[in-house]
Amino acid sequence: MSPADVLDPPAPGSRAPAPVLVPQATVAHRGAWGRLLRSEMRLVFGRRRNIALLSGLAAVPLLLGVVLFVTQDSALGGQGPGFVGRVTGNGLFLVIAALFMCLPFLLPLTIGVASGDAIAGEAQAGTLRYLLAVPVSRTRLLAVKAVAVLTFVGAAVLAIALVALVTGAVLFGLSDITLLSGTTVPLADGLLRVAGVAAYVALSLTGLVAVGLFLSTLTEVPVGAMAATVVVAIVSAVLDTLPQLAVIHPALLTHHWLDVAEFLRVQVDWGVLGQGLAVQGAWVAIFGALAWSRFTTADVTS
Amino acid sequence: MTEQTVLPTTPRRSALRSRWTAPVAVAAVVAGAFLAPPLIASAGPADLPDVTPEQLLAAVAEAEPLPMSGTVVYTARLGLPEIPFAEVSGADPIALLGGSSTLRVWTDGTERSRVALLGSTSEYSVVRDGAEAWTYSSAEDAVVHYSLDEADQARYDALATDLRSGNVPELAGELPTPQEAARLALARAEEFSIVSLDAHTTVAGRDAYQVVVTPRTSATLVSRIVVAVDAETSTPLRVQTWSVQDTTTPALEIGFTDITLATPSDAILAFSAPAGASLKEVVVPLPDAPDGAEAHDGSLPDGLTITGSGWETVAQWVGLDVAALVAGDPAALTGLPGAERTIGSESAQELIEEFMPSDGSGHPGAMTLDTTALYDQLTVEVPEGLLLSSTLLNVLVTNDGRVLVGSVPAETLRGMA
Repeated sequence: MSPADVLDPPAPGSRAPAPVLVPQATVAHRGAWGRLLRSEMRLVFGRRRNIALLSGLAAVPLLLGVVLFVTQDSALGGQGPGFVGRVTGNGLFLVIAALFMCLPFLLPLTIGVASGDAIAGEAQAGTLRYLLAVPVSRTRLLAVKAVAVLTFVGAAVLAIALVALVTGAVLFGLSDITLLSGTTVPLADGLLRVAGVAAYVALSLTGLVAVGLFLSTLTEVPVGAMAATVVVAIVSAVLDTLPQLAVIHPALLTHHWLDVAEFLRVQVDWGVLGQGLAVQGAWVAIFGALAWSRFTTADVTS
Repeated sequence: MTEQTVLPTTPRRSALRSRWTAPVAVAAVVAGAFLAPPLIASAGPADLPDVTPEQLLAAVAEAEPLPMSGTVVYTARLGLPEIPFAEVSGADPIALLGGSSTLRVWTDGTERSRVALLGSTSEYSVVRDGAEAWTYSSAEDAVVHYSLDEADQARYDALATDLRSGNVPELAGELPTPQEAARLALARAEEFSIVSLDAHTTVAGRDAYQVVVTPRTSATLVSRIVVAVDAETSTPLRVQTWSVQDTTTPALEIGFTDITLATPSDAILAFSAPAGASLKEVVVPLPDAPDGAEAHDGSLPDGLTITGSGWETVAQWVGLDVAALVAGDPAALTGLPGAERTIGSESAQELIEEFMPSDGSGHPGAMTLDTTALYDQLTVEVPEGLLLSSTLLNVLVTNDGRVLVGSVPAETLRGMA
């Protein structure tokens, strides 16, 4: 915990210590929720470690683009897994390649850091009980935390996508995009599809955010919650590779992540994408409810 | 850490504890939402009018090919060793050897269609437009264009025009009606099989009849073939082939999981080679007999003999250089499309040719998949040679170079060797 977390400059009315014994959820001050959300956003996006995380993620497409640009005339040019091999032909693919590259580990790690810290970080710093003194119910407080983490994850995906788009446009140029089906669609359509890819990637991370928030309510050690969140993502990915568990694969958190390739087929099957989002919705509902039960009943002593 | 910050609770404790019922309720609702639709869907089809196998086969033969699009799931449980085909090569037809594959199908019901084999981040498409066809592999960014030469194309166009104007060329003899054809087909099938109807079912949300074809003989690996036929349009929706070795799941299953009866848009059925993709032209000869009936005159190609009949048929080739074929030796692969492997960039191609033993004809050896190793892994050694054994088909490659293929037990093949 950096001192900045504890000594967060109190926004008017938000983190100012209120009388400790005010029963929660009695007086819902108008605007208290909004102020709390603003303060939480400032906190999340102002943290040095979060800024570093965002910059690191944004550097991935830059690095990938530069490496591909430098090596494109060598023997290994045009090679690579997934969409990497197509980047040199069309910068638009850099967005997709970068998102695919970050999806298995870097983005879950980002979620782990952001969501694992949300409650447990405050508990460890001893600021949680002051936060609970704000005239806002615990349910709303949890919602504020969730919204802030989701915004941060969305910002991370957006940062990767935008940096990749700019890098790709500068290094390789943007042109009409050739889909996996061999059909070439105009650039505008391609941009829409790539935006769809980024949106789907962001939405398919929501389940893990809910899991991370729940884990964060269980402990006062933020590192534990962060690590556990990453472990959940990795275990899910490992289980997804075991053919013996094919029955449970469709319900796994990470199973539908690669369905994002649907956006690059000649006819996008919205049913497939909808199913992936429905599974995320289910994880959000269950772990959101668990987090709510835990957070609204827990004895907060620090 | 004073006691005051503990929730002010004692009387409310039970109320708080009851909050833990919320996730349980949510989980129940979620489970219900995900499990209910399949349960409702499998609740059994509506009552369908009774038909006889003859009537059903006649309806199938009579049915016009319909414009449609849909998702097809293909599952092979051939009992071959587990090989993660999809991870090796992306969407590639070789993945159909084992496991489950998803395909998308679009057709306008006449001469244009597209079939796409989906990989997780790749796709293998086959597009047909009249006499032309293309395959496109996204993993290799390679197009193969199949077409007729000019003379054949002219002949094809004339035939197609005739057909469209209803000017069907007069065939010698009496034209059988679809009913007659179905009866004949059924009689032919009944020569070797028993045809019966099974309980009605639901495939891709549509009510369907099930035709069961059971071999009369027990000397084959096929225990039965079940075809689900759409009750409304008489289009086959699913085919399951059951092996005698597995009575719980079909060895081969291909069926629609969803289907839409509408003409697909032109953008889907059209194809032109994308810029930058490698393009290979293959000219296919048009068979001389337009109806294909005269092509099969009873004589077999050299080196091929057929023994047995019906389900027990065994084909035998003599003088096939299997080892060379498997190793991807171009000499054994003469004229086989897709024998050349091109690697991404030109300089990479040069690099590989530098290091790969090449035979001078420009074909590098098998690069993407070690087919020899694959062959070794798929076959087992028996006293007569090498045996490739699956739940539906056995292949025996004898030490003296003969190849025996049949849907019969391995012992039968070994006895014939």
